[in-house]
Amino acid sequence: MNTTRQFTRSAFLFVTLILVANASARAFDGPDTSPEKEKELLAVLRSDAPASEKAIACKNLAIYGSPAAVADLAKLLPDPQLSSWARISLEVIPGEASDEALLAASESLEGRLLVGMINSIGFRRNANAVESLTAKLQNSDADVASAAAVALGHIGNAAATKSLTAALATVPANVRSAVAEGCVLCAERLHGEGDAVAATKIYDQVRAADVPMQRIIEATRGAILARNQDGIPLLQEIIQSPDKKLFQLALGTAREFPGSEIDKTLAAQLDKATPDRAALIVQAMADRPQTVVVAAVVKAAGQGPTAVRISAIDALQRVGDDSCLSALLTIAVGDEEALATAAQQTLSVLPGQDVNKEIGALLPTAKGDTHKLLLQLVGQRRIDAVNEVVKALDSSDKSVRSAALVALGETVSLERLSLLISQAVAPKHAEDATIAQQALKAASVRMPDREACAAELASAVGDAPAAAKTTLLEILSEVGGTKALQTLATAARSNDDQLQDTSSRLLGKWNGVDAAPVLLDLAKTAPAEKYRVRALRGYIGVARKFAMPDKARAEMCRNAINATLRPAERKLALDVLTLHPSVDGLKLAVNAMRVASLKDDATAAALIIAQKVGGKGVDVSALMAAAGLDKVKLEIVKAQYGAGATQKDVTAVLRKQASNTPVITLVSGTYNASFGGDPSPGVVKQLNVEYRINGKDGKASFAENALIILPVPK
Amino acid sequence: MSKQATQVPRRRFLQSTVSAAGAAAMAPMFIPSSALGRDGAVAPSERVIVAGIGIGRRGGYDLSCFLPQKDVQFVAVADIKKKRQGEVKKIIDTYYGNEKCVTYRDFREVLDRSDIDAVLIATGPNWHATAAMTAAKAGKDMYCEKPVTKNISQSLILAETMRRTGRVFQAGTQRRNLPHFAFACELARTGKLGKLKKVYAHPAGMQALMSGWLVPETEPDQDVVDWDMYLGPAAWRPFNRKLLDGFNFEKGGGFVGAFKGGGVLEWGSHCVDLCQWAVGDCAPPVEYDAPKDGELVARYENGTELIFRERGWIPLGSCPVRFEGETGWVEAGDSGKMVLSSPELLAGREVDEIGGYPATFHVRDFLDCVKTRSKPKGNADAACNAHIACHAANIALHLDRQVKYDNTTHTFINDAQANRMRSEALREPWRL
Repeated sequence: MNTTRQFTRSAFLFVTLILVANASARAFDGPDTSPEKEKELLAVLRSDAPASEKAIACKNLAIYGSPAAVADLAKLLPDPQLSSWARISLEVIPGEASDEALLAASESLEGRLLVGMINSIGFRRNANAVESLTAKLQNSDADVASAAAVALGHIGNAAATKSLTAALATVPANVRSAVAEGCVLCAERLHGEGDAVAATKIYDQVRAADVPMQRIIEATRGAILARNQDGIPLLQEIIQSPDKKLFQLALGTAREFPGSEIDKTLAAQLDKATPDRAALIVQAMADRPQTVVVAAVVKAAGQGPTAVRISAIDALQRVGDDSCLSALLTIAVGDEEALATAAQQTLSVLPGQDVNKEIGALLPTAKGDTHKLLLQLVGQRRIDAVNEVVKALDSSDKSVRSAALVALGETVSLERLSLLISQAVAPKHAEDATIAQQALKAASVRMPDREACAAELASAVGDAPAAAKTTLLEILSEVGGTKALQTLATAARSNDDQLQDTSSRLLGKWNGVDAAPVLLDLAKTAPAEKYRVRALRGYIGVARKFAMPDKARAEMCRNAINATLRPAERKLALDVLTLHPSVDGLKLAVNAMRVASLKDDATAAALIIAQKVGGKGVDVSALMAAAGLDKVKLEIVKAQYGAGATQKDVTAVLRKQASNTPVITLVSGTYNASFGGDPSPGVVKQLNVEYRINGKDGKASFAENALIILPVPK
Repeated sequence: MSKQATQVPRRRFLQSTVSAAGAAAMAPMFIPSSALGRDGAVAPSERVIVAGIGIGRRGGYDLSCFLPQKDVQFVAVADIKKKRQGEVKKIIDTYYGNEKCVTYRDFREVLDRSDIDAVLIATGPNWHATAAMTAAKAGKDMYCEKPVTKNISQSLILAETMRRTGRVFQAGTQRRNLPHFAFACELARTGKLGKLKKVYAHPAGMQALMSGWLVPETEPDQDVVDWDMYLGPAAWRPFNRKLLDGFNFEKGGGFVGAFKGGGVLEWGSHCVDLCQWAVGDCAPPVEYDAPKDGELVARYENGTELIFRERGWIPLGSCPVRFEGETGWVEAGDSGKMVLSSPELLAGREVDEIGGYPATFHVRDFLDCVKTRSKPKGNADAACNAHIACHAANIALHLDRQVKYDNTTHTFINDAQANRMRSEALREPWRL
């Protein structure tokens, strides 16, 4: 049962938590430390290395350190800067040495550092520390005493539990909350381990104590769940509590409570609670789908305060069944709009094996609003009732015909699609045309065999009136596939300007790379210039939008550039290359630089592509060297490499490598190697360059190892 | 499988959950407002009283989603930066037309206020888990930005703490409340794609992120920036203003040395979270391979693969996910669009296209659950599982080898090094 599983998992998770914490303190199977790495790291700790290096060494010892590292780490525990770094290692290094080091430090340190030690002791669940921690419950520093209480809660053995429960009545008020937290942790552990009686005792003790409301809430939740079915009266008591927090607790705890008795209790509360609370109780009931008393929810949906009814109607979306259909249909055609809307919404998704069958059976005899509602549900629920729906198309009531058309759009099969095509192309009632076309579109895009569907639609294009032709072509473009594409291509080459306009527009936003050859052909051969431009833009759009190999994209851009002399479209093709930078794209851009009318745009594109591709570690220096970039007078004013305040002057290196182009090629593949070492290990660095090109000042920054291409100042 | 597919072309609007054409629709679904007393003016006593903790860029956006909710009263903000306290107060006061928003430097003062029901936690990720659990123990419900946790241990403790304290927790995984992502996950979860074989997530950068111990700079006055409070549970390091950008600080799981894995956690807490939803929010994968060719493959107990993949996505915007079954597939992204292997998968339904990954619906889901005490979509259990998957992947990434995870004991099998990376001590005096 769902709720039982929930509860079991809750308890189980708590146990796994214990394992997680405990596991840190003991040795694991498998390969453990790396002696060489540990040796290197310990050498750092033993040296006069700066604190920054020791901190990082501590962090790495968390992975590679053994008990042999404990003594060196322990020396750092009193250091306010490095104490927490040392504890990162000590919390996870297996063995008693770590426990002993933390415990020893807790005997000498004070204040925040002491709190840190106690927290780590708690995390490691060091049972040997109970006596020491118990003593610290009386520490005059409330933060220390509170930390000790929570640490004892994490340890959670019999001795720790005894200390905490004894302290609950004796510690000062400002420590009591933490002691209560520790008590609840002990109780959770006991409950998880199966000792519900002992757990209940602790929970009740906390509930009776003078502690903050949140601790009462935690203890009350535990007290209800630990009592199992005997906890129902307590849950019943708090669900009726005037205190909002306790009422909310009851709603939450009811959801995790095991068994089905609680469902009856909740159902019984509906008549007793105020409407605002009853509306919330209904939601809690519906979150227990396996055991909910459905009849009580249906009853709440049918009568009583509106808020409760709407909540219940909504809840039936999750827990309703066949038995709710009749009641919901009545509400859905009722006079109260909010209730009717909610019921219609629920009916569209109402669970239940026979709901569809019953709706189909009601359809032939239904009248008026109920008839319309049932037609609507046929569409929403995709019920197979085409014959009855078709009958409704002859109704004299437009709203019934509309409902029928929509239902047909959602349910008609390919074999009977012609029914809808004829309604869309030549409706009996002109006023039905728009809704019929919408229905045809809805039907067409859901057909599993889109080629067959497209064939049906394409065959109707020829004889259709002009407006309907446009509609059919638009639907074909939504359906997609080979036949649809062919039909649009043919229409784009027809003698009819409207068809050319519609088809070229639709092809221009075709959603697939299969349109590329058609668009390229149209870009060259379409009857009018405006449609050739439109097709070419669509072709370039395909290259921009869709995933494809770099070579194929570059080839498309080459085709686009060759297909026109118009600068705007040629620039669009170059933009695609910069958006998807690749070596193939760079080659094309470099070639394009040789065409006089493209030189400026192609040069800009080549520089951008080279920057992006080079930044990913691809060597494009040879390509750029061969690009024939215009000669410039380049002066490096200042160059620095590093991070934050750690900067290395690399002006001399850059000056040496600078030539008469904006591209600077370094001697090695990485900045660190080229600039004589890493100025700031472990940190992301930047190269900042101040320069002058043809007498004009410029500044540029480069991410580590990016290709250095200096923008030409304007 | 081919990428030739049907991109859902339909666009719908939010005002209705049933389309004009009447087809069953997939739209953000909430309990009718009239059932929860949020129709029209809401009595002050029925409002959810909220405070903000660490409201910067992301938090400011979240705040803009909270403020218009009629049943919310935002009353306070806590921030370690004095300037930001004033900026956020101004936004809130301007919205309400009063001067009542109270500012604090220490968020614990917010938690001490008994009138506050819930908090919006939008600090840097370093603080998320610690602030969330401190808030839970103070009896506050919370909407907490992601990534929620820094390691596996925190993930487990988060789920357990929310359960024990009875608090409502919503991770800032707002894509769970966007119709196209929800629909895609539902297709996978309910077997509409056939037996699920692979789920793909886009980590957007299994790469370095800045953190660690930078060069010391002069520490500002505590009033300007409370550096000690900013560091909070993170191990001590000197002030450096680059670390003041929460985006850079302690975000990648905190592994020193390689600094790898930023994207896995930063984006994985969204896209892996969606993959987890697609597999029914089951326990996280049990095997994580070393990364290879821009991919990291993990496997669930039933053999379904979770693949962190950098390339090969249909251009559907950021944070794409893809679910492949034996008979079909679906891919969706932040554009609000999705691509299906067959239009038949729609089964007559229309799916709202909502681009730009707004958090409004996620905030609404949270507020409804604060009232009903139900679990929101980004609840702590779901967040726990998704984050464990990210952390385990990060560990495989860091160690550059396969790791195997036991969901029963929550340990890595025969792997002492990986096991030591499941947790990290918090700086004093903080604890979970």
